[in-house]
Amino acid sequence: MQFKKVLTLRTVVATSAGLTLASSSFVAAVSVANFVLGDTAWIAILTGGFLCFLAAFCFSELNGLLPSAAGIRLYFSRAFNDRVSLTVSILYMLVVIVGVVGAESYVLSTVLSGVIPAVPPYAWIVLMLLLVTGMNIRGIKIAGLFQDVITYGLMFSILAFGLIALYKVNFQLSAPLSPGGATGIISAVAVGVFLFVGFEWVTPLAEEVTQIRQISRGMMIALGILSVTYAIFTTAMTAIVPKEVLAASAAPHLVFARAALGGAGVSWMTVVSLAATVTTFNAGLLSVSRFMYATAREHALPQIFSRISMRYLTPWVSILTLFLIGLVVSGVILLTHRYLVLVHLAAAMESIVYVMAGLAVISLRRRMPEQERPYRIPFGNLVPVLTILVFTVLALTVLITSPWVLVNLAVAFLLCLVYVNTAVPYLKKKHQARRPAARRRPQRRTDGAGGN
Amino acid sequence: MATHEEITESLMVFTENYNKNERLKIMNKDWNRIVVVQATDVESLHTLTLLDGVVSLKEGKSNDPDLTVISDSETLADIFYGDITPTEPYNNGSLRIIGSEDDIIRLDFISLMIWGE
Repeated sequence: MQFKKVLTLRTVVATSAGLTLASSSFVAAVSVANFVLGDTAWIAILTGGFLCFLAAFCFSELNGLLPSAAGIRLYFSRAFNDRVSLTVSILYMLVVIVGVVGAESYVLSTVLSGVIPAVPPYAWIVLMLLLVTGMNIRGIKIAGLFQDVITYGLMFSILAFGLIALYKVNFQLSAPLSPGGATGIISAVAVGVFLFVGFEWVTPLAEEVTQIRQISRGMMIALGILSVTYAIFTTAMTAIVPKEVLAASAAPHLVFARAALGGAGVSWMTVVSLAATVTTFNAGLLSVSRFMYATAREHALPQIFSRISMRYLTPWVSILTLFLIGLVVSGVILLTHRYLVLVHLAAAMESIVYVMAGLAVISLRRRMPEQERPYRIPFGNLVPVLTILVFTVLALTVLITSPWVLVNLAVAFLLCLVYVNTAVPYLKKKHQARRPAARRRPQRRTDGAGGN
Repeated sequence: MATHEEITESLMVFTENYNKNERLKIMNKDWNRIVVVQATDVESLHTLTLLDGVVSLKEGKSNDPDLTVISDSETLADIFYGDITPTEPYNNGSLRIIGSEDDIIRLDFISLMIWGE
């Protein structure tokens, strides 16, 4: 059978890379640089990117085995059980939306307030959220060629900024090969994982490509390009602006752009930041609202979240709920200035999901040994085991070094666990009670005439 | 296991209920799609054609589908009779839909509007 809609490798790469390119990535990049000595952030970033390849291998096998837009919800349900899958999926979506909206809105409002100081930061946040919420309710999706142009434009801009800045210092770096102690490097790599958060969210496109291997190839290419781009950009930032100055700003990329190219650099970087945030916001809101809709449809969230707009065919209650959550979260972050907690929280959660992906690969090899796998990771269980070990260490490093992250994640996990074990059974029971007493499907005749 | 006839009946019920819903027809007037429904445990292939908001059903497959719905016969019959939502079997992997994510969601919206929660 042939399919009418076929995505190209170019779009798969753009989707994978586009989801990770965000304004808060620049803050994370500075955070990485601060854990290591001299201009050696590139070592930690390339290492982080390399380690993410391990997770990408695991997602490639899972995606080939169970190609579905349901993604981790399905992988973990089959590998562990439905409760584990639902708990982790809800927690992941919660962290993503809080992290993306909180950190992104804070960074972008700082950027825009720097350019137009007369407008208060919260006004920018409300404006951005309204724009993206409106786009989502109207069902406007940044996709296809437009997504490709934005993503490749962003990557080109980041790379160009990095190379121009390095050219300005004649490619002279301070101790580029001496990153310092192991603790600093491990912490840097752990936070560096944030730079790649979301690369695996391309797996829902599994049913839109002709060959399932295109998804894994796209993820790998995206990781490779991002690793090199971020490494060059971050090294260039610390080469021309002192680390203390970068760390003191919530918009370090703007400080860097001014140092590299003056006023023109600021304008260019503002456009870059705006594009990165709008695409990330839009993708985040789209994915999480659809997840809420699907979860309500399987009676694991209140039914109100499955309400759809008759005009635009979009889950408007879920989208509006996320808009309200976004307003509250960004308000809290604006008051407390704790945006870095969200960056670290997302890095820790992402590492935990990668650990579970490694475990899922091993579990499904036992549970579904005969099932066809278009892609199978070579060398037995070596890669999944390495994924589990590496990302356990990285998650623990973030959680130990950031007590706030540990507390927030533990509370969120407990809430999700209690919800899944108490509210979900209640909702499902309530639904069963409301269902029509008789099934619509006629009872099969027992005389054998109606089938088996 | 449901029979091919039961799947056909479920699809006829689905088609009839869809075409009775004027709101759905207006909403989908620009959504022209060919949907193939394929059972994994019995010989059963059907094609639903959405054209200008109206659905028609025929037996057999189309060579150029936008969406392909694949599951066991029991699940297919239950879904098209509206006894279960497509989301549950989709999330546990017993229902597979090949097509764009937007089209998959739209198909679920249609099921929601015909059968309710």
